[in-house]
Amino acid sequence: MKLSEDGLARALAEQDDALANCVHCGFCLPACPTYRRLGDEADSPRGRLYLMRAIVEGRLDAGSDAFETHISRCLGCRACEPACPAGVEYGRLLELARQVGGSVRPPPRISRLLLATFGTKWASRLAMLGARLLRASRIPDLLTWAVSRVRRRSGEESAIESESHWARQRSTARWRSLWLAFAMVSASAPPRRLFAKVRRRQVASDAAAAADLGRSRPRGTSTADDRPTVGVLAGCVQAGLFSRVNAATERVLTANGYRALRVRAQGCCGALHAHGGDLGRARALARRHIAAFEQAGVDFVASNASGCGAAMADYGSLLDDDDAIAESARDFAARVRDVSQLLAERGDRAGAPLPLRVTYDPPCHLLHAQGVAEAPLAVLQSIPELEVVPLADAAECCGGAGIYGLANPELGGWIGADKVHSALKTGAEAVVTGNPGCMMQIGAGLALAGSRVRTVHLVEMLDESYRLGGVYGDTQGPGAR
Amino acid sequence: MNPDLADSLTEICGPDAVIVDRDRLLAYESDGLTAYRHRPGAVVLPRTTSQVRRAVLAVARHGLAVVPRGAGTGLSGGAVALDGALVLGTARMDRIVEIDAPNRRAVVQPGVVNADLSAALRPYGLHYAPDPSSQSACTLGGNVGENSGGPHCLKHGVTSRHVTGLEIVLSDGSVARLGGMGGEAEAGYDLVGVVVGSEGCFGVVTEIEVGLLPLPEGVRTLLGIFDRIEDAARAVSEVVGVGLLPAAMEIIDGPTIRAVEESVFAAGYPIDAGAALVIEFDGVDAGLDEESARAAGICDRMGAREVRRARSEEERAALWKGRKKAFGAMGRIAPDLLVQDATVPRTALPSTLRGIAEIAARYRLSVANVFHAGDGNLHPNIVFDRRNREESGRVECASAEIMRLCVGAGGTITGEHGVGLDKRRYMELVCGPAELKAMRGVRLVFDPAGTMNPGKVLPDAPGGGGDQGGAQGGPSTRRSVGGGRVRGVGSVLDLLPAGQALVGEEAAEWLGGSGAEAVVFPESAEEVAALVRRAAESSVPLLPAGSGSRLGWAGGWPSGTGVVVVSTRRMASLVHYEPADLTLTAAAGMRWRNLDAKLRLKAQWLPLETPGLWSGTVGGAVARGGAGPLRTRYGAVRDSVLGLEVVTGAGEVLRLGGRVVKNVAGFDLVRLFTGSYGTLGIVTQASMRLFPRPEVDLTLCFEGARERMLEGAAALRASLLPVAAAELHDRSVAGREGRAALAVRVLGGAAEAEDVRTRAEATVGIEPVDVLLGNESESFHRRATEVAPEPLRSAVVARREDSVSSRLADGIKGLFDPHRVLPRRP
Ligand SMILES: Cc1cc2nc3c(=O)[nH]c(=O)nc-3n(C[C@H](O)[C@H](O)[C@H](O)COP(=O)(O)OP(=O)(O)OC[C@H]3O[C@@H](n4cnc5c(N)ncnc54)[C@H](O)[C@@H]3O)c2cc1C
Ligand code: SF4
Ligand code: SF4
Repeated sequence: MKLSEDGLARALAEQDDALANCVHCGFCLPACPTYRRLGDEADSPRGRLYLMRAIVEGRLDAGSDAFETHISRCLGCRACEPACPAGVEYGRLLELARQVGGSVRPPPRISRLLLATFGTKWASRLAMLGARLLRASRIPDLLTWAVSRVRRRSGEESAIESESHWARQRSTARWRSLWLAFAMVSASAPPRRLFAKVRRRQVASDAAAAADLGRSRPRGTSTADDRPTVGVLAGCVQAGLFSRVNAATERVLTANGYRALRVRAQGCCGALHAHGGDLGRARALARRHIAAFEQAGVDFVASNASGCGAAMADYGSLLDDDDAIAESARDFAARVRDVSQLLAERGDRAGAPLPLRVTYDPPCHLLHAQGVAEAPLAVLQSIPELEVVPLADAAECCGGAGIYGLANPELGGWIGADKVHSALKTGAEAVVTGNPGCMMQIGAGLALAGSRVRTVHLVEMLDESYRLGGVYGDTQGPGAR
Repeated sequence: MNPDLADSLTEICGPDAVIVDRDRLLAYESDGLTAYRHRPGAVVLPRTTSQVRRAVLAVARHGLAVVPRGAGTGLSGGAVALDGALVLGTARMDRIVEIDAPNRRAVVQPGVVNADLSAALRPYGLHYAPDPSSQSACTLGGNVGENSGGPHCLKHGVTSRHVTGLEIVLSDGSVARLGGMGGEAEAGYDLVGVVVGSEGCFGVVTEIEVGLLPLPEGVRTLLGIFDRIEDAARAVSEVVGVGLLPAAMEIIDGPTIRAVEESVFAAGYPIDAGAALVIEFDGVDAGLDEESARAAGICDRMGAREVRRARSEEERAALWKGRKKAFGAMGRIAPDLLVQDATVPRTALPSTLRGIAEIAARYRLSVANVFHAGDGNLHPNIVFDRRNREESGRVECASAEIMRLCVGAGGTITGEHGVGLDKRRYMELVCGPAELKAMRGVRLVFDPAGTMNPGKVLPDAPGGGGDQGGAQGGPSTRRSVGGGRVRGVGSVLDLLPAGQALVGEEAAEWLGGSGAEAVVFPESAEEVAALVRRAAESSVPLLPAGSGSRLGWAGGWPSGTGVVVVSTRRMASLVHYEPADLTLTAAAGMRWRNLDAKLRLKAQWLPLETPGLWSGTVGGAVARGGAGPLRTRYGAVRDSVLGLEVVTGAGEVLRLGGRVVKNVAGFDLVRLFTGSYGTLGIVTQASMRLFPRPEVDLTLCFEGARERMLEGAAALRASLLPVAAAELHDRSVAGREGRAALAVRVLGGAAEAEDVRTRAEATVGIEPVDVLLGNESESFHRRATEVAPEPLRSAVVARREDSVSSRLADGIKGLFDPHRVLPRRP
């Protein structure tokens, strides 16, 4: 079903009050990564809201270059929301604006292609299969290495990408998209070398001390049925390239007294579509998703991908107009948790020490959209000997932002390069985060900058600690008794 | 927009730095005040001073105007471009150029966000004190433009007190560097002072040097809940009245409390309260508990229902929450919100609040107040719906009445948000034609073409377009007194009764032998004005003087012979003194020691301690300007002068500024006359800001090898310990070669002073040879200022006035002294 353009403009017009909540105070400007870099108010949250309002007032055409440019340059990171004293729901308005804009002026081919792929189950499976094969071929690793060498030789280290670069890079944008995609696939590989390093260090240190920590048994194993049930979101990219993270999620949840259920019928949660303004497809996907989890009957829906988590937590407002499902949508949304929240709620459960120095980069859709700041840090801090060093400007987006990095490689690359730069400055051996997209974006940036620093999912880190500490039983790791 | 211009701007600033697409320009239509919408002709986003300079030149060549814009958070429409002018955005000029921690100064580009600067300074234990509520977004350039204040400016002063140097690009593309090096290198007119608060009408500020303060060691926060807002306002006056100086005192009234509590930002204030008062003390940990207990006691006595105290950083944030979220909460309940801004003397707060409530009732509007109560800076917020024309009309009328009410109470039309577009129509409430003409004139000195942010601040000149600064009054209009042109000293003396002039021998005697022909003693500003006009007609040079103690001290004698000294001695009254407002107005001829004696009775003071202060008059102190050793704590002379009555060299009486501590109505000409050594005009009256006299005043005298003393002083500086002053005196008490004395002054409450004293001794590392207390300490420093101890800052190098600054100074001199009757400029 496609709404007429008029209908869409009306949809935005219905938000007049929400738009009017913006008092034009400008508090959101410094929070916005695109404004900070470009300095153009039309690339600030306030400016974008003003353009939306101009459409409602009939002073601006939804198909205008200005609207298209500035709305598509928005990362959707929602860093502007916590900064706003008036509580403007920017994220929701952005989705509407994208829908309105997209209806008169189709988004770039690459975005459409990606959205279509993820919107169809078989296509997405096929794409992921392709990506896995590609990854296994090690071609992406080689290519990434080669690009990083070339860049270094030409003095174009990505860590110092800046404004002058971004102007120049527009001409090479398409190539950048391509090698970025390869580097991202390469960065999705398991951090084998990092964990091997941990094990070497542990062998060197007192093995018995490590063994001591494994004594605590899994919680709640005795009475299996009073455990809260958790359906873990499988996701598209997660299931395709990060199945290890999904498996780890189930393990660490079980170890902390949850019953992890496999919800088979689930599909794509529609996050990318909602953020991209394809609200029609997003709603369809959401309905299917809700039905699947309802059938499974879970207490919580756990997500290890913050973009998906945020989108699911917003199902209530996404499906607000559909009386048939609004109620279940709200109920579903209320059950959504980030995996770190579920873990932190259970308190510390120590595994083996991981003598590593890491830094934590909070995913935007976890920090800004879901307001989860402390839980991931608490989980990290529960891992013995793991040194967590602060990351400068951690709250800022990494430039990945769903498919943004691929669709806007220049600006995304600039923002990403700054993230890589701060990560390298910390001297950390790994960057821990809580979202596959961020893992790939930052990981790719690091690799293209010629660095061997890896990105690791928070859950993977905890899982490794548990595994080495023998939390999962007697068969694995040096901590077993 | 002319494509040629767009091309040359692109060439100068780069392809991404020029915006000409009309749709994209929509985002620049308004600033924080959305009542005004004006789309600019183009936007340019330069990165360096040189780009700004070339861009301004290119624009000038096309005859267009330029509007500097920071973050666009201003609340008076200052940063919007009228008539298709070009907006010059400073967002990309966001570099912190230098942090010079040892000398407590920093240099930044104008686009640096206020809060980012303080964040960058935190590792050094320093901060930039002015903290507008918008500090997370507003830029230093915008702060300079508006002379912004903030909750904590009660104790530490507003922007102008902390800005010590500026680089500014003028409309003809020339670049002036004003002030600088911590303000110690000031010579000549206070051009920095007059540019601060000029709202972009003088030029584009491209670099800013600011002074820094140590982060307070401790903070105590109280929240008093009152049934009646008048009681809260009285508590504010009382806190100041008993000699406490909190860092901040903010009032949130009942309607605002209810708006906040009903919003998602609920802060836990009782919804039936009449007002909440946040009081915060900061400084040395030792004295804070006692101070906050006293303030809490005052709240109780004034009828507070409840006083809450914060015990942790979280609790502190909770107490502040209602204040901080007020704006957002009001924004949510209101379709449109007009944030008003006006200042009244602190003691007039209760009656003004009552008056505002009456006005609101009369116009059937709901008005909510959240404001910087300690400074008397009101923010009545009017809720309305723009779409309702009739209601908008009532808002307009109510606003005008509120302005008149505040001015009538001795206040002014804006305390911190500036005049911009919105308040031009109220300027005549606080400025007469002469003052407006003077402001226009100064603006034209900086911007002769009138292309810098035109149409702001000043109402249109009467008779349209005639924006002529130039000579004011002037002899041509008055030449025909009694037919032929009169000449010579005699004609000047003719104006006064015999008792008010001394000539010949008598004059020489009074002056102690210098070569003036006569001394005159006028008794009012009007008499001075008549004298000046007559002197101009007769080409008689005048030399302003107080008691005659420092004649020609720096300004140099006027050119020509037959000089007449104008003494302010007969104008020596204390015009107005309201201790609870911490302000006074004195006639220029009042002796400083008499003034001090009056203040002492009320346990207040104004410790300027500039050389020559004690033997001179109030007018002399103002005319000389400068700063004493207590500058860090109490500011320089320029920071203390709130208002002036002055007779210009053109014979016009100007009444500038006022007697409220926050005042940004129009350009700050007070700054120009302060420290101008009588070369621009003769000061006849001054209003000044006062301070509570501290309970303890003590001086630790250390003595030893010069090197050792220097080390001690450096250690004190590095320790960030809030000693009031540390000075090195080369001639040690013992009078031996190579030895020196280090005098460390400690001021504050008993507990605080004791703590600082102990720590200062430990930091210097030796026992003091002497400890002076109370009056002894005070008089020691009074004597010391006369011998001018050497400065302890490193890297203080006086910068020579550059050619652009000297051109500006000449222009200002020409404006106010067109007939050269006053002394040459220093
Ligand atoms: C919610 C809210 C709370 C506020 N609270 C306070 C407060 O507590 N105290 C206070 O004083 N103000 C307050 N303000 C007003 C405003 O934030 C200040 O006036 C601030 O200093 C403006 O900074 P800006 O960077 O946004 O400047 P802009 O609004 O962009 O510009 C302000 C003026 O300065 C000029 N200007 C800007 N940059 C330059 C430059 N480089 N050279 C020359 N001129 C320049 C502009 O032309 C304009 O006239 C508040 C505003 C809001 C919205
Ligand atoms: S902070 Fe909120 S109210 Fe202020 S300009 Fe941004 S979106 Fe609007
Ligand atoms: S979502 Fe992110 S990029 Fe978009 S306006 Fe908000 S802060 Fe800026």
